[in-house]
Amino acid sequence: MYGYVRPEKGELKVREYETFRGVYCGLCHTLKKRYGPLLRFAVNYDLTFLAMLLAGPGPVTTCPKRCPYHPLRTAQCPETSEAMDAAADYTVILSYWKLRDGAEDKPFAAGLGYRLLAWLMTGAYRKAVLLRPEFASVTETELAALGELERQSCPGVDPPADRFARILAAAGEGAEGSDRRRVLRELLYHLGRVVYILDAADDLPEDMKTGAYNPLRYRFSPENGKLSPEDEKELRLSLQHSHNSISAAFALLDDTPYTSILTNILYIGLPAVTQAVFSGEWRASARKRKERSGL
Amino acid sequence: MNDPYSVLGVSPSASDDEVKKAYRDLARKYHPDNYHDNPLADLASEKMKEINEAYDAITKGRENGGSYGGSAYQSQGYQYQQSYSGPRSGASSGSAAYGTIRSLINQNQLDQAMAMLSTIQNHDAEWNYLMGSIYWRRGLMDEAARYFRTAATMQPGNIEYRNAVQYMNSGGQAYRPANVRSSMSQSDMCTVCNSLICADCCCEMMGGDLIPCC
Repeated sequence: MYGYVRPEKGELKVREYETFRGVYCGLCHTLKKRYGPLLRFAVNYDLTFLAMLLAGPGPVTTCPKRCPYHPLRTAQCPETSEAMDAAADYTVILSYWKLRDGAEDKPFAAGLGYRLLAWLMTGAYRKAVLLRPEFASVTETELAALGELERQSCPGVDPPADRFARILAAAGEGAEGSDRRRVLRELLYHLGRVVYILDAADDLPEDMKTGAYNPLRYRFSPENGKLSPEDEKELRLSLQHSHNSISAAFALLDDTPYTSILTNILYIGLPAVTQAVFSGEWRASARKRKERSGL
Repeated sequence: MNDPYSVLGVSPSASDDEVKKAYRDLARKYHPDNYHDNPLADLASEKMKEINEAYDAITKGRENGGSYGGSAYQSQGYQYQQSYSGPRSGASSGSAAYGTIRSLINQNQLDQAMAMLSTIQNHDAEWNYLMGSIYWRRGLMDEAARYFRTAATMQPGNIEYRNAVQYMNSGGQAYRPANVRSSMSQSDMCTVCNSLICADCCCEMMGGDLIPCC
């Protein structure tokens, strides 16, 4: 999706890093198995996080799998599980809409690539909708509402962020146990809110140039694509409260084999990414990241 | 009730100190301050009750068994207070409707509370405060902050409104696992002085001097 939800690699233990890579590769393999080889491109860090978050407390059995792009590398991937399948299905639904959104945002010629990819994905998307009808319908409804807010140039940050956050919260609906569902919904809601706001902050200079909608532009009064120090402080305070809500919800989840990695992502990775977005480093390294992952 | 040792995550052979430490860590994790007006506060309070009971059971059992020097720590167990969560009902003057809305908010029935609030025409300080409370619990924290501020500006003398604004501005509180290193480098005056003294010691070892007076 966006790649904001990722572990701080340097702070992971080697075995945690191997496990994380295993889940990432496992998600890629699951996508291929369920939706065909084209859908491998949709694998990403955010949904890897989701696959680990949704996993139950039991032990994880793994099997070695080979990567088609790095044939010499094998990863210990978790066996097929409901959490993995769900994460793969959500990946397809979210990627499809991201492509559609990308196609609409860009002028006709530039949007052609997106349109082509979205068209190629239609079959996979239809299958995912049949498998996860509730999630698909929430995504469609909330994105439509989000689009409407954008067209009206909504002057607040929260109304659009709320719409986006509800989509992620819906990913917690499939979990077992009503308490666990409540906790996951709350955690994912605030994670969605953080992701939406970070994305808006990251895009602000670009959007100011092109005149595209950006919620921060109407909520605050940025100059030259930058928020004033006071505005930035206020926005980051608001993010801090969402971080707190994420921590509060996370503390209520039972331990799973992935708890230490999830702890890294939420307590170290996310604050580090937040810092990088506001300092502008994230934008600067985005091009490099694109080149590296541009396989 | 579950096995008290597994609730605290320690083995039955753990020492009193280990049990106490495990209990304190968990109590810190589920502390009411981490669930300030949080929609999951009830779950945290259940957890807190569970670990309080487990800790009591272990210390009592050990006192009776006599194998360990028992401690009377159980009486100090952290307790959730009923009144902490949410806006207190009837704390300030206002129409009867506001009282009902407050209790709806406390029960997390935010849709009904919002519906009732939107029928009130007069948008006074209390209205803004309650609006902020609903938005806060829903997770729309930026909106909440704006309503809290409006309430506090309209009625600067009201402590409840002022506290809400202060809590927003303070950045709140959250549990941080003990093994997670803080990613921000926190340098305060103490760190600066300590570094200087360290540097001075190093210089002196090498025959030089950084701070001539010590």
